[in-house]
Amino acid sequence: MNRNLTLVWNGLIPENPIFRLALSLCPAVAVTTSIKNGLLLGLAVVFVQVFSSCTVAIFKSFIHPRIRIPAYVIIIALWVTVIDMILPVISPEVYKQVALFVKLIVVFAIIISRLELFASKEPLTPSFFDGLGMGLGFTFGLCLTGAIREFFGAGQLFGHDVLGFKPLLIMILPAGGFFVIGFIMAMFNWLEYKITGKIPKSGGVH
Amino acid sequence: MKEIVKITFSLTIVCVMAAFILGAVYAKTEHIRKENEEKIEHETIEGLLGFGPGKKAPDNLKIYPVYRYVINDAKGNPRLGYLMPMKEKGYLLAEIELSGKLRTVIPVEADASKLSERASRDSVVNSALPKDLKAVYAQALFIANLGDKRLGYVIPGVTQGFKTFIKLMVSLDPNLTVTGIAITESEEDPGLGAEIEQSYFKNQFAGKTQEVLKNLKVVKEPLPSDYFAVLDPPKAARQGLANDQIREIKEKHIKDDIYALTGATISSRAVTNGVKDTVRKFVYRLEILGDAIKKDNIQVAF
Repeated sequence: MNRNLTLVWNGLIPENPIFRLALSLCPAVAVTTSIKNGLLLGLAVVFVQVFSSCTVAIFKSFIHPRIRIPAYVIIIALWVTVIDMILPVISPEVYKQVALFVKLIVVFAIIISRLELFASKEPLTPSFFDGLGMGLGFTFGLCLTGAIREFFGAGQLFGHDVLGFKPLLIMILPAGGFFVIGFIMAMFNWLEYKITGKIPKSGGVH
Repeated sequence: MKEIVKITFSLTIVCVMAAFILGAVYAKTEHIRKENEEKIEHETIEGLLGFGPGKKAPDNLKIYPVYRYVINDAKGNPRLGYLMPMKEKGYLLAEIELSGKLRTVIPVEADASKLSERASRDSVVNSALPKDLKAVYAQALFIANLGDKRLGYVIPGVTQGFKTFIKLMVSLDPNLTVTGIAITESEEDPGLGAEIEQSYFKNQFAGKTQEVLKNLKVVKEPLPSDYFAVLDPPKAARQGLANDQIREIKEKHIKDDIYALTGATISSRAVTNGVKDTVRKFVYRLEILGDAIKKDNIQVAF
């Protein structure tokens, strides 16, 4: 398989930021009360991750290694602010929904860890695909968690009534987020064990 | 030594570049963002008055903004200033004492575009006042007329939500009965407190008279299923309810308290208290303002 595709695939399943790397769990628990919330935050993360990875990949020779972390934080904050300013102009309706989430992204562990581990060592193209893969993997994780919590907690899917009653209200409360993410993590580990026959190392491959 | 210079230089370059990009984006987007915000505010007001998609606002619908200022003199004694549009042209600033007595009326020369933005409006008001007085913006309220007939009032309000403030708007009809509320800004938890923006919660306030509103409480009871369908217009349409039936069910529940949202009692209470508070203060102020206008025969536009 082509390396770029491998990178995207890696971010999506084998190194999924939430279920395998266990990064950025706070926002993952906080916003995944519905699929829509998860999807909107996920898309915002894809943008910030891709732009930040590309910026770091291009300018990495200018960034002094001893101040790389503050420089990364500035770059992430830059792109988050740019999105925060451009989005209300392009689409005020969408902005109204995601305004709350966008500003949170500055402090997401997943983004700065990808800059440090990948974009600061690799050229532009692989960095782009790594950022895209990680962003999509994060989106996938949020949507999956959101779907399970919305279905059991509110009896809805994508805001539409499916069940007509609320089977397990706890799922929509913060505690439910821990349960769902924990169970999905366990499922990922179990699948890996079934496929490779090895007991998975905790916290992904890093 | 050389190292530290390099580090400083590198970090400075990163910051300056980021600042330039942000500055450029801000300059390009700021006025469009403001325009959009104003448009959304205008749409919210029209929506509360019963117009919106599918029902265009008629041409003779006039929405007059009245801006309330708190004016402090040199000794720090407060009085109120109402900036209102006049009948023919221009604006006036009515100074009203806390006791309700009208003090002076100062004509203000400015056009609507200058007054719609807060910073330029503040400077216009302060330059119209004598030098020893200082005006601080408090709030706006909107008076809507359909032709010469009063259609209603729209009042913005703020209330303390679960984590931070909830900004809302309440619309009243000429008899001061609540006709609807809108949540304009809130940061309640998605899935729990954020449900205050759902129509099945917001519409519970419609039709509450002053009498009912005074003793309005939040009850932790499930929303009756017939009421639920009526509060959500698309749902009522799906169930095939006729207009007569809808009116009948609404009539039945008109004096009900507000049914709390599941898992978000604090947010439900916050909105209810916010609406009560906003309306109570507005009714009090409207009385004083109306009296002053009538007694001194001020030629206002509305």
